[in-house]
Amino acid sequence: MSDIFGTMSAAQIHQGLASKEFSAAEMTDAILSGIDAADKSIHAFLQVTPDLAHEAAQKIDQAIASGDFESMGPLAGVPCAYKDNMNLRDTHTTCASKMLENYVSPFTATCVQDTLDAGCIPVGKTNMDEFAFGSTTESSVFGPTKNPWDQTRVPGGSSGGSAAAVAAGMVPVALGSDTGGSIRQPAGFCGVVGVKPTYGVVSRYGVVAFGSSLDQVGPFARNVHDAAEMLNAIQGRDPKDCTSQQSAKDFTANLDEGVKGMKVGVVPAFMESEGLAPEVKNAIEAAAKHLEDAGAELVEIELPNAKAAISAYYVLGPCEAFSNLARFDSVRYGYCDEGHKTLAEQYEASRAKGFGAEAKRRIMLGSYLLSANEYHNYYYPAQQIRTLITQDYQRAFEKVDVILGPVSPCTAFKLGEITDPATMYLFDMFTVPVNISGNGGMSVPLGLGKDSSMPVGAQLICPAFGDENMFRVAAELERCYGSNTVAPDFASAAQANASAGANASADGSASAAVSADDQKGGTR
Amino acid sequence: MISLEDAMKEWEPVIGLECHIELTSLDSKMFCSCKNEHGDAPNTNVCPVCLGMPGALPSPNKEAIKDIVLTGLATNCDIEKHTMFYRKGYMYPDMAKNFQITQGPKAFCMRGHLDLTIDAPAANERVDIPEAQGKDGSYTTHIGIHLIHLEEDAAKMVHVGGREGRIEGATHSIIDYNRAGTPLMELVTEPEMHTPEEARRFMEKLREIVLALGISDCSMENGSMRADGNVSLRRRGTEKLGTKTELKNINSFKNLHDGLAFEIRRQAEILNEGATVLQETRHYDPSTKHTIPMRTKETAADYRMFPDPDLAPFDLSDEFIDEVRAMLPELPDQKAERYQKDWGLSSYDARNLVKDPTITAFFEACMKQKDAQKLVKPLANLLINDVAQLGNEVEDFTLGEGPLTPERAVSLVGMVDAQDISTKQMYEVLKFIVDEDKDPATIVKEHGMKQVSDTSALGAVVDKVIADNPDKVAAYKGGKTGLLGFFMGQCMKALKGQGNPRALNELLRQKLQ
Repeated sequence: MSDIFGTMSAAQIHQGLASKEFSAAEMTDAILSGIDAADKSIHAFLQVTPDLAHEAAQKIDQAIASGDFESMGPLAGVPCAYKDNMNLRDTHTTCASKMLENYVSPFTATCVQDTLDAGCIPVGKTNMDEFAFGSTTESSVFGPTKNPWDQTRVPGGSSGGSAAAVAAGMVPVALGSDTGGSIRQPAGFCGVVGVKPTYGVVSRYGVVAFGSSLDQVGPFARNVHDAAEMLNAIQGRDPKDCTSQQSAKDFTANLDEGVKGMKVGVVPAFMESEGLAPEVKNAIEAAAKHLEDAGAELVEIELPNAKAAISAYYVLGPCEAFSNLARFDSVRYGYCDEGHKTLAEQYEASRAKGFGAEAKRRIMLGSYLLSANEYHNYYYPAQQIRTLITQDYQRAFEKVDVILGPVSPCTAFKLGEITDPATMYLFDMFTVPVNISGNGGMSVPLGLGKDSSMPVGAQLICPAFGDENMFRVAAELERCYGSNTVAPDFASAAQANASAGANASADGSASAAVSADDQKGGTR
Repeated sequence: MISLEDAMKEWEPVIGLECHIELTSLDSKMFCSCKNEHGDAPNTNVCPVCLGMPGALPSPNKEAIKDIVLTGLATNCDIEKHTMFYRKGYMYPDMAKNFQITQGPKAFCMRGHLDLTIDAPAANERVDIPEAQGKDGSYTTHIGIHLIHLEEDAAKMVHVGGREGRIEGATHSIIDYNRAGTPLMELVTEPEMHTPEEARRFMEKLREIVLALGISDCSMENGSMRADGNVSLRRRGTEKLGTKTELKNINSFKNLHDGLAFEIRRQAEILNEGATVLQETRHYDPSTKHTIPMRTKETAADYRMFPDPDLAPFDLSDEFIDEVRAMLPELPDQKAERYQKDWGLSSYDARNLVKDPTITAFFEACMKQKDAQKLVKPLANLLINDVAQLGNEVEDFTLGEGPLTPERAVSLVGMVDAQDISTKQMYEVLKFIVDEDKDPATIVKEHGMKQVSDTSALGAVVDKVIADNPDKVAAYKGGKTGLLGFFMGQCMKALKGQGNPRALNELLRQKLQ
């Protein structure tokens, strides 16, 4: 029965446990064997944690038996995977780097603990670009993750493992982190929902830092409601992260309200961007049209400084990364190249061998940009640009409730297709400004692109700490484009099983693969 | 080598200080909840934050912010409401993150000052006498404070096999991270001190204030208070600063004074020869009383400072600052002023009574005793001179604890005042109090120490001494009046030290005429 769980939403699994249709132990076994089977080809996981999963499942089954389950929240019993830059006590946290290959966490990240406290079942740690530097998951020292929709293509990155695990039905939900698009872009490439909340909504404590002022943790799910429940669980002020803010919202509250009366901003300059694939452009325009048909008002807005965001990002990101990665020096933990005469030599050799090319590129860049001679030429102006971009968004959100646009200029490309770093950096042009300003953004599936037959994502951007706005609009898009889509190679068996047994496909949502253009036609 | 006095004639030293003070009274470290305690077994007060484990984040200790604002207010600083922490990058194992969290150009406290009074004879180091000179030979000078900032301390490293635990020649190093991340204040003065004595007095006064605030034990011995001193020379009458050298990690007031004095002499010799002073960091070795160059880096360090993105900028409210201001205790200067005004003490006595909170507390307890008001001057002497001497002579003596109570101290000086015992005997009685834990009156009685003031008894002794020493008497009468001391000594010897010195003195003068 393993595959039925692969197509079930988090809510359905929780419901199934509540109504005792299956036990947490059965479900967990099935999920673990599902991961076993699917991950042979996808390689979404760097580590599966059956012991922790069984232990958590046992607690859930005890709670069901004692009647305590009903008082547990909606995530109780829901299997969850975590990006491998998140600490989970007594498991490895590798950041997909040789540097931390054998590192075992002595503590648990707040966001991970929040999900455990909510009753989630931890099934493992997912693949990523090394230290989250990348957009394809190809820089993982343990090898790339494949896109479940087409295994010759990348899943996006850096949270590619989490996105692929959700898209392939291995888990209903997962956590990722987003510094310049690392949740939204892989969500878009893999056809799932991915949320980067407003900076400060979720604690960063225990998540290995890349760019501290840019990083934000968020959920992946196959539907908007599950993603909202996940954010409900991980939001809020954490005394251990002084950049986190008070937040106690119910992001599921307005999902059924529709978008009537909402003002949705569109940025004409974005839609005319060089390099924006026609299939993506068409899909976004169709989505905008749909929202208009559903009662929203489309408002053209300008973000005049957004074009400088990539430049600012590739100053601020490397500067912070340079400093954050300085601690990986081979002395207390991590990879150590032994046998050197001096400490300096040991540092140099360990870091030269322990870090991959992209990590070293960013460390060197940050080291240069922060040097006394260059600080005022780069870091300082980048912070000024940051202020301007933040003001752009503030002005825009005086006029609109949410901004709609592309996540990426194209759909998932082939593994190994893009090797030039500067070209790769440009693929983040729509996601990076949101990290620079700190606003929230999320990726919502719009079905498949007409030309590539790969998933296209729409990006919704919200006012700072107005994350509920984008959930509301996302729910509307979901009503049009469908939810709970599992990549076809992994959905077919599940569907067969699902229709044969259990009540997994109650809402028939596993029906996958609707073309974005078809949908556009459909709404007219 | 040229003397300090000669060096100072031609050259004016310009001295600046950097003082580090650990906030030892705080329970937890600067950015984590680990115990703020160095004495424990190595590497026991540690956690993911102060060990720089991946994913750990700092969260500032609010009590430390209170402490530094308190210090700023007590040292006449402007409190900077909008400030932030920076990361200072350097690869060294004493900072697990390989950067230190410290502050940038804007610190919590800016633009303060302390007014120092330098007493004679130390005042004589100053060749150009400042205008504000007192009758007692002291002078007062105004020293600017550039800033006081907050940072985290580094771990303690011991280099095994190296001389004095230093790195040269060491086979390996061991690290204790208990100290890593403990709260540290750094105060930077303006370069406005001009004698080693002024530098010493600045540090002493800063210590007095911080002790009064109760935020650090300020132990130079244990390193909870440390100083770096910068000094350069310029020809008197010129403005342009010379090349400075820096003395690092000085761990006593005396070493600060002596190290700077040596540097002034060393630099003066170089300049007198027409050579140039090398800008470098030097180490003062108290055993040789010399400074030696420390290992110098080939290039100036680039710390790649930038605002720490993990720590939100501060926006201190007026309410918070007022709340801290309300916590300010009476500071040493204010106390000294009150002592002069209320009890008529001299400026010197008042200043010396407020140097150490233990002495201050004891003195104030004494003043609450009956009749203490009229004994204030001898009480001050007792505490400033005799008790200090007692502290040097008697091991484990701590003022305010044990047999010497304020009651006994007042009664002791009262006996001197009533001429029951001599001032010389007073010190003896003081020692007996500590040894025997008895009241002074009992001690005097039991030891038969009562002072002889009776003129007829004294007169007999004086007569005998005069009769026994005809040559000396002749010499005295011939003008060698300095011999009076000899006669006093002889009389006291005969009286076993119990003669009333004032009465004896008078009698001797009379009878030798």
